[in-house]
Amino acid sequence: MAALIIAMPSKGRLQENAAAFFARAGLALVQARGAREYRGTIAGLPEVEIAYLSASEIARELAAGNVHFGITGADLVHEAIPDAESRVALLSPLGFGHTSVVVAVPQAWIDVRTMRDLDDVATQFRARHGQRLRVATKYIALTTGFFSKKGVGDYRIVESLGATEGAPAAGTAELIVDITTTGATLRANGLKVLEDGEILRSEAYLVASLGAAWDEKAREAAASVLDRISAEARARGLREVRAAVPAADAVSVAAEAARLHGAAAPFGTDASPLTLHVAAGAVPALAGMLRRAGAPIVTVTELHDVFVAEDALLASLLARLNRAG
Amino acid sequence: MGENGRNREREQALLALFERAGCVRAEPAVLQPAEPFIDLSGEDLRRRMFITTDHAGREYCLRPEFTIPVCRDHIAKKSNAPITYGYLGTVFRQRSGAPSEFLQAGIEMLGRPDHTAADAELVALSLEAAAAYGIASPEIVMGDVGLFSALLEAMHLPKTWKRRLSKDFNRARSFADDLEKLADEEAHQAGASLPAGLVAALKSDNADQARAFVKDVLTIAGISNLGGRSTAEIAERFVEQAGDGATPLPKETVATIRRFLALSGDPDQVAAGLRALAAETGLALEPAIARLEERIGFLAARGVDVAEIRFSTGFGRGLDYYTGLVFELRDRGRRVEGQLVAGGRYDGLLAMLGGSKDEPAVGCAFWLERMNQAGDA
Repeated sequence: MAALIIAMPSKGRLQENAAAFFARAGLALVQARGAREYRGTIAGLPEVEIAYLSASEIARELAAGNVHFGITGADLVHEAIPDAESRVALLSPLGFGHTSVVVAVPQAWIDVRTMRDLDDVATQFRARHGQRLRVATKYIALTTGFFSKKGVGDYRIVESLGATEGAPAAGTAELIVDITTTGATLRANGLKVLEDGEILRSEAYLVASLGAAWDEKAREAAASVLDRISAEARARGLREVRAAVPAADAVSVAAEAARLHGAAAPFGTDASPLTLHVAAGAVPALAGMLRRAGAPIVTVTELHDVFVAEDALLASLLARLNRAG
Repeated sequence: MGENGRNREREQALLALFERAGCVRAEPAVLQPAEPFIDLSGEDLRRRMFITTDHAGREYCLRPEFTIPVCRDHIAKKSNAPITYGYLGTVFRQRSGAPSEFLQAGIEMLGRPDHTAADAELVALSLEAAAAYGIASPEIVMGDVGLFSALLEAMHLPKTWKRRLSKDFNRARSFADDLEKLADEEAHQAGASLPAGLVAALKSDNADQARAFVKDVLTIAGISNLGGRSTAEIAERFVEQAGDGATPLPKETVATIRRFLALSGDPDQVAAGLRALAAETGLALEPAIARLEERIGFLAARGVDVAEIRFSTGFGRGLDYYTGLVFELRDRGRRVEGQLVAGGRYDGLLAMLGGSKDEPAVGCAFWLERMNQAGDA
């Protein structure tokens, strides 16, 4: 049996994105064929096994401690795992799978813009029709939690297993709670999102199970996987900027670049040219500043990996594991 | 004698008390249709229920409490004669850190026309039950949600405010905030996104015309998905919101409500406070105050030390179906968390469950686990 099991999404965009993410991190997935196609390995890491599961199964398997790591949406973690904080650790956002879980009502409800309005309509609806407003959703825990926080009580949930956005038109519910990225599907179905109706902003995360069997071998395997993942994550969106500023000014220029643009000088300020790491968006401004400081030329390169001596992801996982157990 | 033996004896004493009080023992089925519980108590309770589905897709649950099953069985008997039920049995709720199957007992007085006397009898019985558990002088916390309803009626508020205030009173968590928001002029101005001319037109005396206008707007926009609400219903609330809903609650009204909610003390002090409030504001609260005083009288006649009761006008139970008296017994030293006994009047419940419209009901539940703890402490 493998020392470390990582659950990966088995289908759809999430699978493609997750596989691409692993590839960028230098972790080549090898998927078995035939009867064991739901299991896989990582090239060069024999102690790691990949389990292909649906995104919501991944959340449940993490909660149960049957897998060590999983890639799944924050929405599903919070939906499928009661008391998620104590059972899993959301180690790192992965930069894909962006979505929001929202409350959406028919556009015809021109008198309803906020959860307050919905609350009022819910009470009125119950008094008038003798039944509660029905909310179609697969996010039962998120919905009850959010509605309770907003003080809305006169509703009931109709569990939806697919095409939730069609429920109001089909007459099986009055409103819905569902995920959306652009809102286009909701609009096409005659629905609108309430102004304060965003329950959760979600994206895909690398999630660790706190209840899995974290023996020495699992920790070692986790360390090598996390090292590569963090190196990639750290490099994501970062640019390396090099400029030959006058040697006497290097210290003050680096300090100014840090203050104004959040740039770091990972190799110090002694060597020339001066090497800085900065967020991609800050590059033009930084390049301008460096030239004004006397650099005749500024080069910018994309970074692939940034390895550091002390990996923060591993440290935060170990800290959580120690606290949990 | 072991802990179990002592608890059994207390249960026997409680059942004997029920018998002396003329209670009929109610033993509803463990497996109940889930619908009435969810319909009356909402999704918050559903999360804690054990729900299962039969072959036809109907949802059933293990009874999470007794009041609804006892009332449903009573309705099925089709008898309107006053009757008092007593029950003791297991209920099932998902709880973290405590067993999900636990004992609950209680009393339901159905169909008694002498409301205030029945209220007092129930409170006195619950005190006797506490005594049978070795809890000599529990803290008595009491309120009457009928008082707030009476205040809302007497203030003659527009119905949009009345609806909101009466609901938020039930959901106590947001009530102070809500008053704040209702009175905040800036919030109302910020919230009013309609063109001023349109609002003025909608606020005009001709409400029918305004409604027709809204209907037209929906028709022109080609909106057909109404999500279970009729055009008239949407139009009516739209007009209402553009009118009353777009103006803040008058400062005097907020001040009166605040003053009302600040009234607490023993029941006699509160009754006096209410009378002073009514006199100064000219609000017609007299029938509600008289009911309160009548209940106090009956309580005193049953030997309850009325001066020891902590009465507060703001004490509601957070459950929509209470209509009058609400009360709790708590452990005086707070060695045991939560209420030992909780109950009140719920005159609308039998009708909501399909029973007769004007059949009053008052009852309470005994949290036996906690009563055992309090009795042992």
